[in-house]
Amino acid sequence: MKNIIYTIIAISICLTAGKLLNSAIAGLPASLYGMLIYCFFLQLGWLTPDKVHKANQWIISHMGVCFIPAAVGVINHFELIKNYGYAIVVIIVFTTFVLITFIGLLAEKYLSTKSESVTKGY
Amino acid sequence: MLLENINVVDSLMLTLLTLVVYQSVAWVQQKWQLIWLNPMMITIVALIPYLLLNNINYASYRQSTQGLNALLEPATVALGYPLYQQLKHIKRYWKQLIAILALGVVLVITISFSLTMLLIHQKEIAIALSLKSVTTPIGIALTEQLQGDSSITAFSIMIAGFSGALLGPSWLRFINIKSDIAIGLSVGSGSHVIGSIILSKNNPHQGAYSSVALIISAVLTAFIIPVLVPLLLPLFS
Repeated sequence: MKNIIYTIIAISICLTAGKLLNSAIAGLPASLYGMLIYCFFLQLGWLTPDKVHKANQWIISHMGVCFIPAAVGVINHFELIKNYGYAIVVIIVFTTFVLITFIGLLAEKYLSTKSESVTKGY
Repeated sequence: MLLENINVVDSLMLTLLTLVVYQSVAWVQQKWQLIWLNPMMITIVALIPYLLLNNINYASYRQSTQGLNALLEPATVALGYPLYQQLKHIKRYWKQLIAILALGVVLVITISFSLTMLLIHQKEIAIALSLKSVTTPIGIALTEQLQGDSSITAFSIMIAGFSGALLGPSWLRFINIKSDIAIGLSVGSGSHVIGSIILSKNNPHQGAYSSVALIISAVLTAFIIPVLVPLLLPLFS
């Protein structure tokens, strides 16, 4: 319970700092500044990784429901989907494969010898 | 409260309905391990007919569920933790890794934006499609900042996720890419969380590299896209 409160306060502080930064210098969205500040504070040791671990994993595995209000917006785009649905899917699938091929070839050439074990974050 | 046109009870009911449908699908997906049973997709497919039948327009649905929307910001901040975890592991080769992922981000934004402007001629849609290779919360935040259409972004991210995660590994084998790091990074940057889940099932190393790619690519996109889109836009006006 104490760690849950710790995580909530930590995230709130970082988000508030993100909002200040966003209104001062614009650039990135407030939540992204908040994310980078959160990472930075963990790196500096100002926040304790072990204390945020559990609550943080819970937030990430449950955050999907927060996307629903934005995604339901397709309700206003039936016309667009009727006219351009195929074009949209073709663009997405084509560019996704271009990206996968490009990163795959470069990583195979320049990084495959540096295999270092990494752990899965989430 | 800012609710003007809708009463509080309706608003709570809509939020609760969204939560219950989403969590039920997520629970079934977890239990049966069915990757295609995507909770977001199923929830939307269920909610849209409900809203249409009850004559609830999108503006009032959005207003009713603003509580969920407000949670998106703190949830995005929480992604700083996996970012912190991944940074520890890429120390030895971070320069090459960031260079490769950044080139990938520039390439995918440029061709997605250009193709959409050529075929569909709508800036909001071009921005949404340019952000399809990013994890959903960051994709939505960036789309809204650039005044694109975040619902199209959310769907595009899902299509990119499924197509690359299901077909990407076979395609990479076909073009003779075999190392775990190359497979993980490429599928992670193209198909983010869905790619990561599918790779992790068969090979934890590939899954780990895909988490690195998805979080670092998203941060790089946040820095690159606000500069790149204003450069591309004059080419199509």
